[in-house]
Amino acid sequence: MQLIVNGLIAGSLAALMAGGLALVYGVLGIFNLALGQLALIGGYGTWWLHASGIPLFPSLIGGMAIGAIFTWLTFEIAVAPFYRRDARIPLVTTIAWSMILDAAILLTLEERPRSILPGGKHFLPFDAVRISVEQIVLIGCTLIFVCVVAWVLHSTPFGRKIRATVQHPDAARSLGISSSLLHRIVFIVSGVLAACGGIYIGIDQNLTPTLAFPVTIKAYAALIAGGKDNFWGTILAAYIIAMLEQLAVGTPWWFGNYVSAGYQSIVALLFIIVVLLIKPTGLFSHRARAA
Amino acid sequence: MPILSVTHLSLTLNSQQILKNVTFSVEQGEVIGLIGPNGSGKTTLFNVLSGFLKPTSGVMHFRDADITSVSPAQRARLGIGRVFQNFGIFREMTLEENVLVALEALPKEQRMLLGSIKDAVKGTLDMVGLSHHAKKKAGSLSGGQMRLLEIARTLKSGKELFLLDEPTAGVSPKMTRQVADLIGELKKEGKTVLIIEHDLPFISQICDRVLVLDVGEVVLSGAPREIKHDKKLQEIYFGADAAPY
Repeated sequence: MQLIVNGLIAGSLAALMAGGLALVYGVLGIFNLALGQLALIGGYGTWWLHASGIPLFPSLIGGMAIGAIFTWLTFEIAVAPFYRRDARIPLVTTIAWSMILDAAILLTLEERPRSILPGGKHFLPFDAVRISVEQIVLIGCTLIFVCVVAWVLHSTPFGRKIRATVQHPDAARSLGISSSLLHRIVFIVSGVLAACGGIYIGIDQNLTPTLAFPVTIKAYAALIAGGKDNFWGTILAAYIIAMLEQLAVGTPWWFGNYVSAGYQSIVALLFIIVVLLIKPTGLFSHRARAA
Repeated sequence: MPILSVTHLSLTLNSQQILKNVTFSVEQGEVIGLIGPNGSGKTTLFNVLSGFLKPTSGVMHFRDADITSVSPAQRARLGIGRVFQNFGIFREMTLEENVLVALEALPKEQRMLLGSIKDAVKGTLDMVGLSHHAKKKAGSLSGGQMRLLEIARTLKSGKELFLLDEPTAGVSPKMTRQVADLIGELKKEGKTVLIIEHDLPFISQICDRVLVLDVGEVVLSGAPREIKHDKKLQEIYFGADAAPY
C-alpha cells in the first residue's frame, strides 16, 4: 500500500512534467531539454515570493507566471529561430540554454535546499500508510490539471486545433490554423506544467539546483515509453515508471536485502531501453506519426 | 482579372530544378486539370501554390494580392483550399470533429454566415452521405470515404480556389462519380478548381482546360478536346513512337 502511495506521489510529479512534453512533441515535433530548469525556476520563484512574505496562493500563481515567462523566453531564444530549419536543432540549443539557466540558478540561489513550506508536513494518522495532507493536495491538483488539459483538448475549439495539428500538421495549416501562435501557446502551457512540477518538488521535498537533470530524464522516459505524441500514454507511463521505481527500492529482492535508493533513477533509463527494444513507437502508440 | 496568376515560377531543391519558369493564370469559375507523368512536378507546384514550399523565383497573385511569401494558414484564410494526395484528414478525430475543426478555423465573419455550426457540420456530412458515421473516428473509414470527407470538409469551408491532388486515387467508380458531381456543384457556384489527376477520361469529362507539366515545365495548355490528340502529349506519356490513346 505504501509503495502505491509513494508511486502516486512520484508519478504525479512526472506526469505534470511529461504531459507538457507530450503536447510540445505532438505539436512542434521537438524535444525541450531545458524543461527541468524551467521546473526549478517555477519552484524557486514560488519559494522566493512566499519567503518574501507573500501569502501562499498568490505565490503559487506568481511562480507559475515566472515559469511561463521563462518558458516563453526559452521558445524565442532557443527554439523559434531554429526549429523551422530542422526540428533536431532545438535538441542542441535547449541543452545549451539549460546550461545557461543551470549556471544562473546556481549563482543566484546557492546549493542550499529550499522548501516552499519549511514548517514540515502534516501527516495523517494512518497506521497502514504514511501520507501527508500536502501530498494528497498535490496528487489531487495534478489530477485536476490533467483533467483540465483533457477537457481543453477534447471539448474546446483550441484543443481541436491542437489535436488536428498533432495528427496532420499540413492539413491543419491548409485549413487556416496558424501554427506559430499555437506553437507558442502549447510551449508555454508545457512550461507552466513544468513550473507546477517545480512547485510540487518545493512543497513535497526540497528544491536544489542539481534536481533539473534527473527530473528531465524521468519526464523523457515517460514520453518515450508512452508514445511521444500520445498525451494519455505519456501520463500513464509516468505513473508506471514511478511505481516501478518504488517497487525496485521498496521491495526486498534477495535474503531480505533492498536495492539502494541511489539506484532508483536507473529504473527510468532501463525502462526506456526495454520499451525501445520491444516497441520503439511507445507502449501506447498504435499508429505511426501522421505528418 | 484572373483569380490566380503564376508568373515565371521556379523552384530549386538540393541543386535540382523542380519547377522551371512556370507561368499560367486561372479565371474565376474555371476547372483546370493539371496532368503529367510521375515526377513532373505537379504536387510540388501545389505545395508552392498552397505555401508549403517557397519558390526560388517568380511571383503568385491570388486575386490582386501577392501571395508569394504568405504562409499556408494565411492563404487558407484568403480562400485557397487544399485536398491532399495522401488523405489530409485527422484520423484520430471523429468525422464530426474533422468538419468542426475546419469550420472553427474560418475567419469570424465567414463563421457567422454559417449560422448554426452544428447544422453546418451535419449538412457537410449529409452532402457526402456520411452523417450516419458522424461519431466514428475518421481513421475507421474506407479510402474512398476518407477522400469524400476531406473534399466535403474543404468545400464547405468557404474557399474560392480549390487545389485537389488526385481526388479519385484509390476511390471506387461510384465514389469517383460522387467526386465529379461535387466538382460540378462547385463550378455551378462559381468556384475555381485546380485538379491533379492521372485519370484522363475523368479530366476530359470535368475540366474546361488542361495544363500539361513535364520535367517541371508547362509544355501544353488547352481544352481537353484540343490537347487529347496532341502529338506532344502522346510523346510525354507513351514515348515518341506511340499511337494515340
